Amino acid sequence: MATPSKNMKAFYKQKKKNPTGGISKSKSSKATKPAATDIAQLPHGVSLDLKDDDIEEEEKALREFDMNMAYGPCIGITRLGRWERAQRLGLNPPKEIEKLVKSGKVKLQSLFDGRI
Amino acid sequence: MEVDSQEQLQRKQSTYLSLDENFEIQKEVYRGQQYSQIYFARLHMMRTLLYSLVPNWKSHLPVCTVLELKEGKECIIFGTLYKHMKLKPCILDEYSKERSVAPLIKPHNFMHQDDYLVLEDESGRVKLGGTKLSPSVYVTGVVVALHGKETSAGAFFVEDVLEAGLPPQIKRPLKSREDKYVVFVSGLSIGRSSSNPLQFQLLVDHITGHLGDEEEQGLAAEIVHLVIVGNSVEISRGLLNGQNLASKDQSRLCEPFKELDILLTQIAASLPLDIMPGSSDPANFALPQQPLNRCLFPGSTTYNTFRSCTNPHCFELDSIRFLGTSGQNIDDLTKYSEAKDKLDFLERTLRWRHLAPTAPNTLGCYPFTDRDPFLIDSCPDVYFVGNQEKYETCLLKGLEGQLVRLICIPRFCETGVAVVLNMRNLECHALTFGTQISS
Repeated sequence: MATPSKNMKAFYKQKKKNPTGGISKSKSSKATKPAATDIAQLPHGVSLDLKDDDIEEEEKALREFDMNMAYGPCIGITRLGRWERAQRLGLNPPKEIEKLVKSGKVKLQSLFDGRI
Repeated sequence: MEVDSQEQLQRKQSTYLSLDENFEIQKEVYRGQQYSQIYFARLHMMRTLLYSLVPNWKSHLPVCTVLELKEGKECIIFGTLYKHMKLKPCILDEYSKERSVAPLIKPHNFMHQDDYLVLEDESGRVKLGGTKLSPSVYVTGVVVALHGKETSAGAFFVEDVLEAGLPPQIKRPLKSREDKYVVFVSGLSIGRSSSNPLQFQLLVDHITGHLGDEEEQGLAAEIVHLVIVGNSVEISRGLLNGQNLASKDQSRLCEPFKELDILLTQIAASLPLDIMPGSSDPANFALPQQPLNRCLFPGSTTYNTFRSCTNPHCFELDSIRFLGTSGQNIDDLTKYSEAKDKLDFLERTLRWRHLAPTAPNTLGCYPFTDRDPFLIDSCPDVYFVGNQEKYETCLLKGLEGQLVRLICIPRFCETGVAVVLNMRNLECHALTFGTQISS
């Protein structure tokens, strides 16, 4: 897609500003937590915006991984499960995704899980 | 009474290796996944395999996905077949406004001349045309490679089809073997009013060497293994009508199991035995069926020769590989396709390298996420199916020198026929037990 990344960030930023809106499943409580704990974990001098961008980058990369057809359907399977399956089937998924998912700061399942 | 012979006959033995781990679901966790996961695993594994076979088939043609098809461009596509069947029962028929005169009794076969095939991969699906691919032979769930081109109507005209073919077979060491026999029996249906306990008792007596003279006993001593291929009990439907069971009904419910356990204890005391669940046994409905619970067989489980196995069941005896099911996969193929005999269906599942291609479409199946356990990686030496109408067998030869003995095991309750296989030369014969006393 030829969308400039700035626009994508702005698009995501809108969603981030309202973490509880529209999401009623308990699984998404993990998503609401980063907003509160991030403020607590911010070191001095680092602005909130920068931290948001970092989360966005990670979530963006994970969403790319979710949407990649080569690794199969993303619904009904955790991201880690899907990564491990891709690894086992010899699809060579990028190692960064594994680190991201195992880091625990991101959602365990794709955006659609629980909603479809 | 004088004992005829001084020496005791020793039963022959063989080394047993169970390969059922693939069919066990204890480690699986259900997280609400749907069947798209198992279809993806199947497509990926089969596509990788077919891709490696394409250079030997038609190396000059380009490979593309369904979405990349261009009109008139000759290419090869991979995907899972879907057969659209007019007569296939659909839940939506109950909600349709127009009530057509649908027969209340379901036909045993849902084929219709208007059935057509569709090929599907992750990117899309395309209707298949041409006469090369016959809808009466194929079923939903088979993964194939197709050579052809897109027509102006948007369908894909098939010029040639590539199936995976028989899987590679591990060569057995050709040492001079002695005669060792494996007995297969299925469909005992203990608990059915028409089942004759004497017939099975005769079989048990024959195998354990309680019948016949020394020569007979010598033959029986060469039987090294017994496999019971499903449908060992039949619980009368009258008891299970949704009401609470009275205590006398509860004991009636257990009677078939007690009877079976008594017989199995006699067998287990004598030789190794495998029992597989079938469609009428108290095991889970969806394939792979899990082993029957040991508490059903209090007498037999005390013997280490008694093994409760999964359905499908895969094992090795003296490094000869056996693979088989209790019949649900072949029965489903019979409902949705046609062939000249059941052995033909068996051969097709081997060529498609999939035990049950109609699972999960029309055959109950566990929603695996990371694998498809029904894919056949290695060609068995003996491939059997239980609970069929009659005893049939043939020797299938593959293009790469594979040799498979295909066996259809008949229902013992109806036919009184068990199947005996000689492991030395893979020859097969029937063992019939009749209890009619001629007048």
